[in-house]
Order: sequence, then C-alpha cells, then structure tokens
Amino acid sequence: MNTESVKTVVDRRDGKLAMAHFYVAFIALAIGGLAGLLQTLVRSGKFELPSWTGYYQILTIHGVVLGLVLTTFFIMGFQLSLVSKTSGTLTDKQRKTGWIGFWTMTIGTVMAAIMILTNQASVLYTFYAPLQAHALFYLGLTLVIVGSWIDGAAIIMAYSSWRKANPGKPSPLLTFMSLVNTLMWIVATIGVAATVLFQLLPWSLGLVERVDVLVSRTLFWYFGHPLVYFWLLPAYMAWYAIVPKIIGGKIFSDSLARMSFILFLLFSIPVGFHHQLMEPGIDPAWKFLQVILTFLVVIPSLMTAFSLFATFEMFGRSKGSTGLFGWVKKLPWGDARFAVPFIGMLAFIPAGAGGLVNASHQLNQVVHNTIWVTGHFHLTLATSVILTFFGISYWLVPHLTGRVLTKAMNKLAIIQGIVWAIGMTFMSGAMHAAGLLGAPRRSSFSTYGGSEQAAEWIPYQIAQAVGGSILFLGIILMLYIFINLAFFAPKGEEEFPVGEVADQAEKTPMVFENWKLWLGITVLLILFAYTIPFIDMIENAPIGSKGYKFF
Amino acid sequence: MAQPGIGKKTQTKVEDQSSLKGTLASVFLLGFFLIVTWVGVYFLFVDRF
Repeated sequence: MNTESVKTVVDRRDGKLAMAHFYVAFIALAIGGLAGLLQTLVRSGKFELPSWTGYYQILTIHGVVLGLVLTTFFIMGFQLSLVSKTSGTLTDKQRKTGWIGFWTMTIGTVMAAIMILTNQASVLYTFYAPLQAHALFYLGLTLVIVGSWIDGAAIIMAYSSWRKANPGKPSPLLTFMSLVNTLMWIVATIGVAATVLFQLLPWSLGLVERVDVLVSRTLFWYFGHPLVYFWLLPAYMAWYAIVPKIIGGKIFSDSLARMSFILFLLFSIPVGFHHQLMEPGIDPAWKFLQVILTFLVVIPSLMTAFSLFATFEMFGRSKGSTGLFGWVKKLPWGDARFAVPFIGMLAFIPAGAGGLVNASHQLNQVVHNTIWVTGHFHLTLATSVILTFFGISYWLVPHLTGRVLTKAMNKLAIIQGIVWAIGMTFMSGAMHAAGLLGAPRRSSFSTYGGSEQAAEWIPYQIAQAVGGSILFLGIILMLYIFINLAFFAPKGEEEFPVGEVADQAEKTPMVFENWKLWLGITVLLILFAYTIPFIDMIENAPIGSKGYKFF
Repeated sequence: MAQPGIGKKTQTKVEDQSSLKGTLASVFLLGFFLIVTWVGVYFLFVDRF
C-alpha cells in the first residue's frame, strides 16, 4: 500500500461533492423505506392503501429509489472520497466533472420520480417490456446512468493522474478498487443504455409500435447482474481495506484483494442468463455456459470470506487469543464502525447460499419468481451491502463534515444494526420460507379465489409485515444518526481508516494495472457468452409486442 | 546409554501466533452450510418435478 500518498483529511471541497451524493442517497432511504413498509403491510392482508395510490406504484418507488438511486449516489460519493483520500485531492477539473455527474444524475432522478409519483411509470424497477412507462421515465433513468458515467470519468481521471505521477508503482488499493468498480459499471450499463435508447424510448414515444421483449430483457440482465456486484464491491472495499484498520489489524494480502476484484470484473458480466433460466427463446446450452461462468464468481466471494476470517484471526492471535475460535472474543464489538458491517458480513453467508440455489437451473425452477428471490436480495443488498454502507457513514459523514461520532451515537448505531438484523431475520426468513411454498413475488395481496395453497402463505406474509415494521424503525434510527453526523454532532476530527498490508504479505505485482489485458478478457468473455444467443434471438424474433399500461 | 533428561520432552504448548486453523475451520463450516442449503433445495426439486 502506498501510504506516502495517503492524506490525513479529505479536502473540504471534495467532501462537499461526496456529501451532496449522500444527501440524495439518504433522502432516497427515507422515501423508499416508507414505501417498503407500506408494501409489507398491504401484503399482510390487514391494510389497504388509499384510493389515490396503488401497490404497484409503491413497489416501483421502493425498487427504483432504493435499488437504483440510493445505491448509485452512495457508491459514487463513497468512491470519490476514497480516491480523494488515497490518491490525493481531486484537481479542479476532476471535481468539476464530479459535480456535472452529480447534477446530471439528480435531474434524471427528479424526472423519473415525477413520472412515478404521477402514476405514469408503475413498471417496477426492472421496467420489463411490454409494460410501458412514459418516455420521460426512461429519459430520466438514462440521465442517471449518463451522470454516473461522468462521475466515473472523474475517478478514471484521478487514477490516471496518480499513475502518471508515480510511474511503475501499483496504485493505492482503494483507488484501484474504485476504478475496477467504475470500469465494470461502464461496461455493464452499455446494455441497459442500449435497450432504453434503441428499444424502449422510441417505443414509448410512439416512433415504433412494437418491442422485442426477449432482446430487451436480455440487455437488461446483461446489466442487471453486474449491477448487483456494483452494489457489493464498495462493501467489499470496506471489508478488505477499511475494516482491518478499524479493528487495529492488517490487510491479509493486497494482491489477493486486487485479484478478487479483477475476477469480479471478468466474471460478473457474461452471466445474465442465470436470471433468465426459465425464459423461452434462449438455447439451454448457452444458459449452461453462463451458469458455469456464474459459478466462477463464487471463487472471488470465497476468497473474500477466507481473507476476512484470516484478518480477524491474525488480529485476535496478535492480541494473545488461543484455541480455534478464541480470536472472535478479541474483536471490537463495541465499535459500530466494525460491528454493523460485521452483521452485513454474516448475512452474506445465507445470502450467498441462496444465490447458489438461484443460479442452478433445476433449483431455479423451485424458486423462480417466488418471494424467495425477494428474500435473497434483501439479504445481499438490503443487509450485507446496506449495513456496510451504514457502517461507512458512521465515520465518513463526520469525517467529511468536520465532526465526530460521539459515544452516544456509536451506541445508537449498534442498536440500529441489531434492530435491522432482527427485522430482516423476520422479513427475509419469512420470504424465503413462503417462496419455497410457492408464494409469488411482486404481486399484491390476494387469496387467489380462496385457494388452499395461497392460504398457507398468509402467516408468512404477516411475519414479513412484522419484520418490515421493525426495519422501518431501523431506517428512522439511521436517518436520525445521519442528520446528527451531518449537522449537529460536535466539531472535531473523525479518522478516515485506511488499512495497511500485513508485513508478511507478498509484494503486489504490476500485472493488475494492465487494463488492456483485463478489459480485453472482459470483452472477449462477453462476446463469447452473448454473440450467438443474440444472433439466434434476432433471427428468430417474433413480431414484437405492443405496449401495456395497467396503471 | 541412558542420559537423564534427554528423553524427557518438555512439552510446553506454545500456540503458533501465525496459525490460521480458526480460518480453516470457518471456511469449512461455511462450505458445509452452502452444500447443505443447495442439497436441501435439490431434494425439494426432485420431490416436486
């Protein structure tokens, strides 16, 4: 790790840019969280929405605002502050680029939000054709993506100027990781940009009458799976390179961390078919190939698990712990910056296990389109990732605003993490169980004409509402802590923890910085996995579908 | 032949500071959990389809 370039405090001007991103992210948390609460209440069958809104409108708000807005804004703000911290203050040009990106994303968000709130875009966050939204909804989402590219350009520019100033040296680990995530995001979003610009936008404007549903869904999932890794990798950045510093330990291996990030770049994109295993029109052989590639992404995840266990054990033993699991007791459980992301790490164990089930073709038949899947991504995104983001906020927000995390806030933050864990155990646990019994995802409350099987799901739906209510308490706590850290906490200097590599770790080889090589393999794998299936889809395309508006 | 003291092993158990056996056990437990989950749903599949 190149500690010589690590500044102690992020420049105030860069801090403002990052905080602008966080304000939008936490407003999104408030709106999306409320929508989530309402959904679980409706699905319990004990509560009805007022006549001026509907379940699918609320569901669209929840998905778009939390899955797309909260995540993208938080991640961009986090990565910009990581780069500013580890590669030096952004230049005026880089910072200006970041601001242009921020405003482009914000304008896009407002456009999409107006369309959803006026009930002209209740198409859920996946906006699957042939559901058709107002053109401004698609245009708004396009601006969010374009804005994130401009933000990404600032990160790429900062990385290049660091490399120019430090020839022959590996870039700082956290800058490297931010860059990998940015590159993966740019390659992935080309898919969703293609379906929106060439298919959905002309179709919603009435320029063309029909849309090829399979092509649009395939382009969506070409983007949709790397999207989940775009959420996850910033959490991994904190787990690999920040949590070790918080606990007072060392990073197990810089090379291993970089290797796992490169593997995510290579294998997280050519795998979208595992979301389309039940879809006709794609040859099973190509589905099988993409399932294999999906299982290759398991490798860097298991590398991460190993590396984290090793970091914790090495730290515990350096503090004199003995026995097989004695090191667990030495970890700083009273520190929210560690304890809250740790709950996230634990949640990733059942989340990963569920992911293996989803990605296996036959097992996917058991859970496909059931609420098991919703339970799955509420463990990955809404627990592992979001609790890590909360854990990051507990030191990053006060660091950027020149304040400190007080003892009282630290305690409240730990309570917040525990409340979240309890709420999610109820909600996600009940979703997994009901999904195995066949309960569908996405759909509003229904007794399905008094069906016996549907009656079996109702107790689980009530458990989901209980969990959802507890989680909403967690959101209120988090917002309270965020507002405190941003505006009211005592002035002071909160540490920006950046881990150092263990002394016995090997020197980092320069091959990881060879972007021609890594991007080249990425493109080759994508072409290999997608070219022939796309030719098949287009050659054998049906006439396409007209748009449907059920709202 | 018999040298007093030499055959007597002084076994003070010093645990290696760099030992990662807890990590090994942890990843095995993790792997076991992944396999059990997968096999569990697999049998549901076999049962139903």
